[in-house]
Amino acid sequence: MSQSPIFAHDLVRVFGSGDAAVRAVDGVDLDVSAGEIFGFLGPNGAGKSTTVRMLTTLLRPTSGTARVAGYDVVTDADAVRRSIGVALQDAAIDPLMTGRELLRLQATLYSIPRTDGERRSGELLERVGLSAAADRRVGTYSGGMRRRLDLALALIGEPSVLFLDEPTTGLDPMSRISLWEEIRRLNADGTTVLLTTQYLEEADQLADRVAIIDHGRIVREGQPDDLKAEVGAPTLFIDVETSLVGTATSVLGTFGELRPTAEGTLGVGLHDGVGAVSAVVRALDEAGVAVSHLEVRAPSLDDVFAEATGYRLEGADADGAPR
Amino acid sequence: MSTLAQTRAMSQRSVLALVRQPALVIPSAVFPLFFAALGTSSFSRAVNIPGFPEVDSFLDFALAGAIVQGILFGSITSATALATDIETGFFDRLLAAPTQRTAILIGRLAGAMAYGFAQTLFFVAVLVPFGLRITTGAVGLMLMAIGGLLTALAVGALMSTMALRTGSSEAVQGSFPLLFVLLFFSSAFFPRETMSGAYRRIADWNPVSYLVEGFRSLTIGDVNATSIAQVVALPAALAVVTMTGALAALAARTRRG
Repeated sequence: MSQSPIFAHDLVRVFGSGDAAVRAVDGVDLDVSAGEIFGFLGPNGAGKSTTVRMLTTLLRPTSGTARVAGYDVVTDADAVRRSIGVALQDAAIDPLMTGRELLRLQATLYSIPRTDGERRSGELLERVGLSAAADRRVGTYSGGMRRRLDLALALIGEPSVLFLDEPTTGLDPMSRISLWEEIRRLNADGTTVLLTTQYLEEADQLADRVAIIDHGRIVREGQPDDLKAEVGAPTLFIDVETSLVGTATSVLGTFGELRPTAEGTLGVGLHDGVGAVSAVVRALDEAGVAVSHLEVRAPSLDDVFAEATGYRLEGADADGAPR
Repeated sequence: MSTLAQTRAMSQRSVLALVRQPALVIPSAVFPLFFAALGTSSFSRAVNIPGFPEVDSFLDFALAGAIVQGILFGSITSATALATDIETGFFDRLLAAPTQRTAILIGRLAGAMAYGFAQTLFFVAVLVPFGLRITTGAVGLMLMAIGGLLTALAVGALMSTMALRTGSSEAVQGSFPLLFVLLFFSSAFFPRETMSGAYRRIADWNPVSYLVEGFRSLTIGDVNATSIAQVVALPAALAVVTMTGALAALAARTRRG
């Protein structure tokens, strides 16, 4: 048996039955090492949250096995719960209670003695910068404050493994960066972190390793830099008139493989690197294609994602129902 | 020990929710008083109808109906809060922590019980200046408050079962008309002795009648084995049945699909 803090083998979760059955998670393997920040990247509905719900004992896997902090998530669920901290994307915080009251309640749920619970609540409020708002009702908190409280709640039991389900979705850039810093600090103290995100930049900035999940399956996994290096060539994006898309596509095809793009834009992975741009422009010009916009981008996780799934995460529908 | 501490913490939370949302509590406290006042002013001469128990005023008669009515409506408030926890995901937050499953339910019901106890005393306190007289005195009043607590547990567990099975606050609130019908086809507003036909037969079968009559016998009668059985033993027995259902619903809800 693996001693990794988070280990899953062929994890499957099916919702519904018969013709209506949906394989939300379809054979996920995970092996997260101690002290790692592991990023789970994918669009809404890809199976991120369902996987996290299984790993955090909220949902029973249809098949497959998972061990968290060394305990089986099905047969030893209570031991798992005592070892982990969880901040779920769609688990609201009671708006009628104050931040301090919620932390004390959470401390009681983790069987922390009263005085220790009070001390720890105070420390965590300080740590996430909510001391001043500690005795205000959560209903008056901003989105960023709620996420920080959520993090503090997840930390009350001093977990060795922390699950953060889309911790920064819907936050403004400043709040996002301050939460990233906090996650890095926690990780530096030795906490293993699994976070799900639909933000490429978040996965790139924060994660030691990234798994890209699409339609319930992990389609790429590795360190962000390695994944980007695998894609290799930079991508040239051009905008052309709709009537010239056919011509432009065949011209671009001679410089490298075409890459998925947002609608109205064409993209090609340049075999010969950035130096080929002028040749591309000349070739397009000779073919009578006027280019209205041109952009070259070094390989990014978006390219990794596009190459793995056939579509781009940026600009993808972000409003789908979370699973 | 930790189960006890968790249950206490969850109870505090549910009482806190009542205290901090007066708008949710006030209707279930004011409505029954309004009905009692309306009945007293409109039906004051009804006490002379043959079969009507001997009372000083209609108000003495109306108190029991008001208490049970308040508890029925109050139980919707606490069960709605449980359903809302499920809807908003707060319930998941509790489940992802090493929370004792029963603490979630019992903590919630403890709030309902505290409410049932306090509301019974509150109704009496409000109505005494208007001429309410309790023949059984302090002992009867305490028995009524305990009966209020147990009735709140019995009805609260029933409504919580609905909350846990459906996970929908709308479904819980949708049961309001059902409770209203149960209340109207009981002896809450008139004695069974004055009823006839189908109405009487339904009232005879309706457990709400017997709950109400227990409180009533302590208001206008004596403390005796029958009144204690009706105020304490009956809701306690109902609570055993409804709690069994609620615990089964909790187990089904937390079986994690």
